[in-house]
Amino acid sequence: MSELEADKLVDAAIVWRAPPAPPRSRRFATALSNAWHELRKSRTASIGAVMLVLLFGACIGTPWLATHDPIKQNYRERLQPPSEKHLLGTDRLGRDIYSRLLYGGRRLVTIAVVAVALSLVVGVPFGVLTGYFGGLADTIGMRIVDGLLAFPGLLLYLLFVTVAQAWKLEGVMTDLVLVSALALAGMPEKARLARGSVLAEKQKEYVEASRAVGDSSVSIALSQILPNIISPLIVTSTVRLGLVILIVAALSFLGLGTPPPTPDWGSDLSAARDYMETHPLIAAFPGLAICYTVLAFNLFGDGLRDILDPRLAER
Amino acid sequence: MLAYTLRRIAQLVPVLLVLTVAVFGFVEALPGSVLDTLIGTEGGDDAETREILAKEYGLDRPVHERYAKWLVRTVQFDFGNSLVTRRPISLELMSRIPATVYLATVGIMLSMMIAIPLGTLAAVRRNSAIDYTAQVTSLAGISIPEFWFAILCVLLFSLYLGWLPSSGYVSPFEDFWGSLQFLILPAAAIGFRQAAFTTRLTRSSMLDELSKEYVDTARALGHSERKVIFKYTLRNAMIPTITISGLQLANLLGGTVVLESIFAWPGIGRAIFEAILQRDYPLIQAGVLVLGCIVVVMNLLVDLTYRLLNPRVKFA
Repeated sequence: MSELEADKLVDAAIVWRAPPAPPRSRRFATALSNAWHELRKSRTASIGAVMLVLLFGACIGTPWLATHDPIKQNYRERLQPPSEKHLLGTDRLGRDIYSRLLYGGRRLVTIAVVAVALSLVVGVPFGVLTGYFGGLADTIGMRIVDGLLAFPGLLLYLLFVTVAQAWKLEGVMTDLVLVSALALAGMPEKARLARGSVLAEKQKEYVEASRAVGDSSVSIALSQILPNIISPLIVTSTVRLGLVILIVAALSFLGLGTPPPTPDWGSDLSAARDYMETHPLIAAFPGLAICYTVLAFNLFGDGLRDILDPRLAER
Repeated sequence: MLAYTLRRIAQLVPVLLVLTVAVFGFVEALPGSVLDTLIGTEGGDDAETREILAKEYGLDRPVHERYAKWLVRTVQFDFGNSLVTRRPISLELMSRIPATVYLATVGIMLSMMIAIPLGTLAAVRRNSAIDYTAQVTSLAGISIPEFWFAILCVLLFSLYLGWLPSSGYVSPFEDFWGSLQFLILPAAAIGFRQAAFTTRLTRSSMLDELSKEYVDTARALGHSERKVIFKYTLRNAMIPTITISGLQLANLLGGTVVLESIFAWPGIGRAIFEAILQRDYPLIQAGVLVLGCIVVVMNLLVDLTYRLLNPRVKFA
């Protein structure tokens, strides 16, 4: 290494260690306002963000927003059109559709978020470490990922769900099995992406700088490189959330999700098919709810991609 | 190319091994496994019957031995008999494959017929009304669940208008026009959703190509815009589109379960779905394995085609 290069490295190391951080609370507020400022650059992203805020608000506020018990049947009030008492009407068992939608959405969104988060937690460190160390770890790691990628997604869920049914699992346990299947299926995509970004980042100066000041490999990979490759991960995760919601809804539509009477958009939609000719609205609401949710994630993800990757936005 | 092909085929081996282990492990992970189901259908739950059945199906052997035995039989397409119909599983599956291939192929063709013109037009007339329509439609196509779309189609075309049957299947070899009637709705449901992805891709790769220098050169040489687009850019822009359509076809072969069950389409996806409801575990096992293999092989073929179409990609 020439003297000049060594100087540059030292400089880089100094710059990298530089400014003292402001207190945590203020940093958070600044980050939030910065994020909103960035978001407004893309119309799709801001529409998506507003839709998502509404969605998450509804999910968190479900117990206060719901007007009825979602599983309480009332045969005297079955198949009613929307009214003041039942905002979106009632289904074939006289249950309040509006309340069922809220509770079902809360469950569905939670499952999707946990599944995608889990796939990130497993996939990203996996990809970062294999990419950073390379060699044999990389070869073996990527073979595993290839094997998982080759497995047709839906079949994997069907296998997991069948096993869960055979064990007569109930309630949260079935959801956990589903979540782990979804996470396992989502993991390879994240691992690949992380690995690719790491291979690109690894060459950069700041990595060499932290190595020069004596940081360990694992700490460089996880605390220096990871924050720099986060934007493609956020984008794919957002889009993946929409897809996961579609998959979960499809499984419960087939009757392979949570058994009734748990409120669930997919199985409610499936049950409404029998009344489709006479009461099409009952089937319309869960369908619209799924569309809204998936659309929100897709818009937000698309917009984010435009903001975070200006090269693509020009298209 | 030959060396690359051989290496890719060699790479399939570990992938297929993972697949077989997963599928075999699935049955092992079931409580009580096949024995309980067998006794359920044979009747007579006593220790003696259990022992005889266990011996007959080799369930008294250790796991790795059973796996090896199962693998040898599987390679010879001997999956045993269905627990429900008692017929050989290979026959059950073989009779179901054509319907799935028929549906998936027509669905993808439909998707390409929508997506390629729409995506190209959107790219050529960028920021025009057509472009926005294409973008909004494809966003809708990605966000609308296909089972809901299918139900809405049935509601409109079968129940209200009465133009098409709501579900069923006729083999195209027996009655071609009759079979088309049943095919239209499920194929349209597939086509609409897949076209959403392909339109976006066609649009962005077309825009990519249009911004390249050779396009300017072609225009400077005085070629008509029509020739520039159809003869030069479209051909290059088609490479990713065709690749994605191939991958979609591969995935559809393994993923039309939902539509097949809505439209009572006797494909392999529905066979697996019914097997799940009836707890016919050997059939589920074989079905998933066969579909998995089809998908893996299709993916390989698509990859090889991609490299043939696009020689610039290095054979890394």
